[in-house]
Amino acid sequence: MTRVGTVALNTFREAVRDRVLYNLVFFALVMMASAILVGQISIGIEQIVIVSLGLSAISIIGLLISVFIGVGLVSKEIDKRTLYALLAKPLRRWEFILGKFAGLALTLTVNTAAMAAGLFLALFYVKHSIERADTAVLVAVYFILLKLALVVALAMLFSCFTTPLLAILFTAGLYLAGLFVHEMRGLQGGLIDPALGRLLRWVSYVLPNFENFDVMGAAAHGRIIPATLVAQNTFYAVLYCAIVLTVAAAVFSQRNLK
Amino acid sequence: MSAKGYIALLLFVLLGFAGVWRLQERIDVQQSAVASEDDQVMLRSSKLVKGLSLEYAPLVADIYWTRVVQYFGNKHAGQQLDLRLLWPLLDVTSVLDPHLMPVYHFGSMFLSDAAPRGAGRPDLAAELLERGLKANPDEWRLYYDLGFVYYFDMKDYPKASAAFYEGSKNPKALFWMKMMAAKIATEGDSTETSNFLWQDIYNTTTDASVKENALTHLQLLRTQEDCKHIDVAADEYQKQFGRRPVRMNELVLGGLLLGEPVDPLGYPYVLSEAGKAEISAESPLKKKAAKMPGSK
Repeated sequence: MTRVGTVALNTFREAVRDRVLYNLVFFALVMMASAILVGQISIGIEQIVIVSLGLSAISIIGLLISVFIGVGLVSKEIDKRTLYALLAKPLRRWEFILGKFAGLALTLTVNTAAMAAGLFLALFYVKHSIERADTAVLVAVYFILLKLALVVALAMLFSCFTTPLLAILFTAGLYLAGLFVHEMRGLQGGLIDPALGRLLRWVSYVLPNFENFDVMGAAAHGRIIPATLVAQNTFYAVLYCAIVLTVAAAVFSQRNLK
Repeated sequence: MSAKGYIALLLFVLLGFAGVWRLQERIDVQQSAVASEDDQVMLRSSKLVKGLSLEYAPLVADIYWTRVVQYFGNKHAGQQLDLRLLWPLLDVTSVLDPHLMPVYHFGSMFLSDAAPRGAGRPDLAAELLERGLKANPDEWRLYYDLGFVYYFDMKDYPKASAAFYEGSKNPKALFWMKMMAAKIATEGDSTETSNFLWQDIYNTTTDASVKENALTHLQLLRTQEDCKHIDVAADEYQKQFGRRPVRMNELVLGGLLLGEPVDPLGYPYVLSEAGKAEISAESPLKKKAAKMPGSK
């Protein structure tokens, strides 16, 4: 596990050195500022607008980082030929994959935490206080983080066997499909062929369900998010990531790097 | 990787997805509790949404329209009567894409139908159709829909007649629209007119739910006519025998009816305590009639 930790730490350092990250954080701060502005010109829903906009910004920026950097984690090492030097050391391929995943997850955690702090500052600016109901916003941020971890795992899986461009397209496509899982299940009852309906139901359970992590509405309205849901979503993300990373490690282990 | 390795990997993935499936079912239960919050349309300003949609307004309109259908369908399936968001959603959709005809056709149906079938807001349905006509003056079908709303839901016969007449000016319009305009202007509400309009919808629609709705209305119209005839026979019976009939076969035995009359679904009509004809409680039409106040 020390080797995984070393890869993770170096991935984190590399990501932090990457100027794109700073630009994205800057973008997040601009979004926060616009949230305050929009909040001031919307009557009665300042808090809702700030939370919705802030969470959306965190989610969008996190997704950009997850997809673009996640896809590059493996392909960049191959392109720069630094992977050969790494694998010449006593480092297994699955350790490399896991380390890279952990490194980017750590980067995303730090970035998301910074953006969440900005969001809470904006909230404090508007409300002049932070209440217990605002923990829902914190839970929503945590759910975004879980979602991002899942996206990173998928991006890494695709980058293990295809080109970066295709990996980005596959990840983005799967993410979009995962946002419509509920609708997919609802496409029954005479609307479509029953056999197709059953197939879609099966597919809907296999696809990563990104709707699970969408509690933005509840957070914006300060509604309590059940602890059971937090635990279940955590377990869901961990289990799904484990499956995807296992497959990614298996694919990467079989890949001919010559 | 060895064969054993592949099998282990496959087993892990399969078991993993089985776990994901089970977990998802539990999450669905929890999520439904969180999601059963008040419905929200964050952006109600159609102008703002249009501005934000940039050049993709028609695409956003399609998405909004899908949401209208989902919203109405879910509310309908869940027997929920509160359809407050229907109008804001339709309002935004019709501004985003003023030429999206299903918005006016189906949207006006959703709005005008009385609860629990719809939002019970024929006034907004008429407003939506008027907006549609402004953007699409050549669409005679919108006049037809408008006439329908005025005739059935608002009972405003002069306006219904005017709508059918305006629509009939379009060369592509149905040939009978001008006659219908004249008939409504002269007679106002009549079973014959209602029957004709519903029959036309039944014959022309391609939507299964609309067809079923039209059929139900036609069946209910027939029951109304049947009950009227039975009541006339019961009145005659009272004149001849000095009392109201209690059972339907008394009318048959008295020679006033040829046989025991049945409703369109084959259930015999019954006589109420007051001796008036009505649909049997066993007939599915009884429930449907209760759901459609003033079904004519």
